Amino acid sequence: MNYPTIISITEEKLDLDALLAQVTLPSTGASVVFTGIVRGLTTRGAAHATSHLDYEAYQPMAEEKMRQVADEMRQKWPDLQGIAIIQRVGRLAAGTPTTVIACTTAHRDTGVFEAARYGIDRLKEIVPVWKKEVGPDGEFWVEGDHHPKLDR
Amino acid sequence: MNRVKILLFATLRDYVGSKTIELEISAGTTIHGLTDLLAAKYPRLEKVRDSMMAAINREYAADEAVVPDGAEIAFFPPVSGG
Repeated sequence: MNYPTIISITEEKLDLDALLAQVTLPSTGASVVFTGIVRGLTTRGAAHATSHLDYEAYQPMAEEKMRQVADEMRQKWPDLQGIAIIQRVGRLAAGTPTTVIACTTAHRDTGVFEAARYGIDRLKEIVPVWKKEVGPDGEFWVEGDHHPKLDR
Repeated sequence: MNRVKILLFATLRDYVGSKTIELEISAGTTIHGLTDLLAAKYPRLEKVRDSMMAAINREYAADEAVVPDGAEIAFFPPVSGG
């Protein structure tokens, strides 16, 4: 079986339609497309406004780790067909899509929802990408709380 | 002595003031030992060293991992992509 796996770190605008077409096969009947978006207004926790995020990646390692995430998704949900994992980097304004996890299956009850959720959770754990948040109150680097050194 | 190239990202790059640095290390130096050297040279790293991640040749490395000759080493804070 030769199902498409698309991995990319890009400064280009994300084209959701084009991505979906790349992971859609003749036998595809369901897809889940998750997109992260730059949140302009945060109300959970410390409420604040965000004007943009500056993303950077350790690109070669990030691409290897994104491929690992896709491999893990296929192991856990063998019915998956296409997988796309994309991270946009550079300066992204509030309201802009930042990342895409797209996966397809023949039918919706074969784990496609769970797989997309797993994909974004793992991306946030192990893919070396960072963002600096910039808003009216200044700027600060966002740091995750996962330590892959201890738990890969 | 081995000369190693170290890549730094996000806050760590800000603290060190450079994206890449080169250091002379003795053969057998571990990631823990390399972190000691860096923290001594760049004191701002001291307060974040417990949360620093290390990679050897683009794979996560534990503190006790030995730095191979000619390896690509990277240090960075916990990731925050998505």
